Amino acid sequence: MKSRPLLLAAVGLAALAGFPFVVANPYYIHLAQTIAIYAILLFGLDIVVGYTGQVSLGHAGLFGIGAYTAGVLFMKFSAPLLVTLLAGVVVTAGFGALLALPALRVTGPYLAMVTLAFGTIIQILINEMTDLTNGAMGITLQRPRLLGATLDERGFYFVICFLLVAALVVVHRILRSHLGRAFEALRGSPVASDCMGVSVYRYKVYAFVISAGLAGLAGSLYAYSEKYISPNTWNFELTVLLLLAIIMGGRKTRSGALLGAAIIVILPKLLDDLELFRYVSVTLAVVVVAGAAVLVARGRSTVARSAIPVIGSVTLAVLSFVLTSMTDWRLSIFGLITLLVVYYLQDGIVGYVRQSLGWRGHGADDAAQAATLAAPASAVSTSTAAGTGELVAADQVLMQFGGLKALNEVTLHVARGTIHGLIGPNGSGKSTMMNVLTGIYVPTAGAIAFKGQSIVGRTSARIALAGIARTFQNVQLFGEMTALQNVLVGLHHSYRSNLLDVALHLPRFRREEREAAARAYALLKFVGLESLAGEEARNLPYGKQRLLEIARALALNPELLLLDEPAAGLTAPDIKELVVIIRKIREHGITLILIEHHMDVVMSVCDVVTVLDFGQKIAEGTPAAVQSDPQVIKAYLGSEAH
Amino acid sequence: MLTLSNLHAGYGKVEVLHGISLEVPKGQVVTLIGSNGAGKTTTMRAISGMIAPREGKVMLGGVDITGRDSHRIARLGLAHSPEGRRVFATMSVNDNLLLGAFPRYTGARARGDIAADLERAMDYFPRLKERRTQLAGTLSGGEQQMLAMARAMMMNPEVVLLDEPSMGLAPILVDEVFRIISRLRAEGVTMLLVEQFAAAALNVADYGYVLENGRIAVHGPAEKLKNDPAVQAAYLGGSH
Repeated sequence: MKSRPLLLAAVGLAALAGFPFVVANPYYIHLAQTIAIYAILLFGLDIVVGYTGQVSLGHAGLFGIGAYTAGVLFMKFSAPLLVTLLAGVVVTAGFGALLALPALRVTGPYLAMVTLAFGTIIQILINEMTDLTNGAMGITLQRPRLLGATLDERGFYFVICFLLVAALVVVHRILRSHLGRAFEALRGSPVASDCMGVSVYRYKVYAFVISAGLAGLAGSLYAYSEKYISPNTWNFELTVLLLLAIIMGGRKTRSGALLGAAIIVILPKLLDDLELFRYVSVTLAVVVVAGAAVLVARGRSTVARSAIPVIGSVTLAVLSFVLTSMTDWRLSIFGLITLLVVYYLQDGIVGYVRQSLGWRGHGADDAAQAATLAAPASAVSTSTAAGTGELVAADQVLMQFGGLKALNEVTLHVARGTIHGLIGPNGSGKSTMMNVLTGIYVPTAGAIAFKGQSIVGRTSARIALAGIARTFQNVQLFGEMTALQNVLVGLHHSYRSNLLDVALHLPRFRREEREAAARAYALLKFVGLESLAGEEARNLPYGKQRLLEIARALALNPELLLLDEPAAGLTAPDIKELVVIIRKIREHGITLILIEHHMDVVMSVCDVVTVLDFGQKIAEGTPAAVQSDPQVIKAYLGSEAH
Repeated sequence: MLTLSNLHAGYGKVEVLHGISLEVPKGQVVTLIGSNGAGKTTTMRAISGMIAPREGKVMLGGVDITGRDSHRIARLGLAHSPEGRRVFATMSVNDNLLLGAFPRYTGARARGDIAADLERAMDYFPRLKERRTQLAGTLSGGEQQMLAMARAMMMNPEVVLLDEPSMGLAPILVDEVFRIISRLRAEGVTMLLVEQFAAAALNVADYGYVLENGRIAVHGPAEKLKNDPAVQAAYLGGSH
């Protein structure tokens, strides 16, 4: 299992080290440098685009800041290589933070516009601040010196390769740590991230700053590699090209970033040289046809599915011999290739290859490994501050949306260690109450105290960390992540490791990761999902998704757990299992608020039931008392016996 | 009217359905019951083209619809009211219903009297009538569910797939939903129904299939299944 990545790494390193000796031509060494530099930049861009799912159109600008930091330091102070590289990272990360702090409050098209404006401003500033940047004249750099020697093309190639490998390892480790899971989670479901104590805004900014730092490193290396930088390089086209590289290569993979970098550097050059293009396109066609034939023969793909890449690559090869002059067709061919990739390989080239070869992601392996870890003493935390008294005191809560009073001065007191049912017709305000308690809505008026402290106006993430966990009426899982990873996001609070611990895999991080994996697996076992630990959450059946939400919520070590219609969509036998789980949770001293329409569940587990109708409390008391209340029967239960 | 033979389907590398064969005769209500993850929703999705079957055949009124695009299948008269009430939230109730009749405007299906059918739908679901100009997103969960059902009817479909129409509804509304299903059945609407309240589903259905781990375990007239001790023990456990 482990040998394949190791072997791949060894082959990759050998290829990197051997390349400049096999190909001595400085032109090609320089080309390889450029690819490596773009790859570093793309590793970072993929964190933002692939993992957090934000579209940044400002990375060309950040790349430029890195390059100009190195260029200006070199021109003004003749600063040595190590200083300029470090400064490139720090200054660009600083600019990244400056951009991210206001920009990441908005999302989608707005974020794209803000980052686009940033990129444009940077380009203009570089052009106009002649005193600092030499303006349109650009800056010329000389070959850098390292350890007392001037680096030639090959020497600098090795510097870049070293940094490429370092960046690869660090980025890979970050993305597979709790930080990477936070990035992925906030894309999957922002509201669930916040309710798991992972502040969406904060982690978006982190991701952006890390990404900017890598762009800065790439930029400063680029300045030395090109030996001349000018303002026009960092334009909108470059930004688009970078995004294209991520999409073509395949998001959420490091190999995709490498491949994407190679494509955007080599492809334009390739289209300049007809001879070379013929050679490459024929090779490509042979590889694709042979690959497809093997896959079809092994039954891993069908003729129909592999027809498109086969036809595409063969057409390209034929085209290369039909055309006599490339120059007229360059842009069209480039566009055609892009279109084909985006259309038919939506997970990028790497994603497609993985899928065809049936490679599983690391998620499944991690899950298998978690199963072998020693189980923790107890999967579910026991609420230590046991005893009686009130855990939640919500008084006169008013929640108004425009003219609609979704909650009209509702008072809800929940005693410690109880299961408190919340029922009422659809639209009566039950889910609104949950959202108010977890900070998703700030009540228009009224007071809410949890453990004697007011939580009104606190962010969802802070409330979650204070001990209120929840599930959602419309399941809010992190769909692309495995069941185990979903629970691990809930355990985010258990990590104290910083970026350094993660990058270097220091003992603290390794211990925390091991403990969290064991605990997460135990939690899955608690709800009976351990056999599905390595399955992506979106592939689980609906009922299992609901159980997974409960496991994830328990990972927060909550004192109060809010369950929003946990039995919806479950059949009778599954509901029985759910009731057992709910009781077991209470035995751990965790207080529950339960919204549910299945009256048998409500009646069998709840100590107290509150009934809402049109945002008002119409009844409260023991299940039996509520069930026979004429007002409740009229508004909610209906005339027939239930 | 709707026939599945040896249907295999799944997601990614996981196969969920391992050869399902069932038949929904014209004018009948057929229900599909089974535990969570047995493949009920997957069956629905494979029928309406939301996922492509890997093997087997889906026939609708004598036409092979296996693996066709959802919108093409819909034009042939198959209406799917999906799990979790997917209504067009920013459009009015009226517009949601008229969109349900879309294939009748484009000529893909016989046009008939759309205005009359709109009134008929409102008549079935009086709550929608009261709220016809309201945005669908502002309806309560129960009302959205009714809207989804009414929208499916607006196509004048040959077959309706109802996936968990009672999910997340207050008991008082669950009763209403089942009353409406019985009424539609009396009018001769052909339906395939998936429901968590298996007992209630068997009460309104003519015929039932029990799905277990992606295979049909038992099938028979609804009356017979309801009294089958094995089915009772496994699926009809509690009342609602």
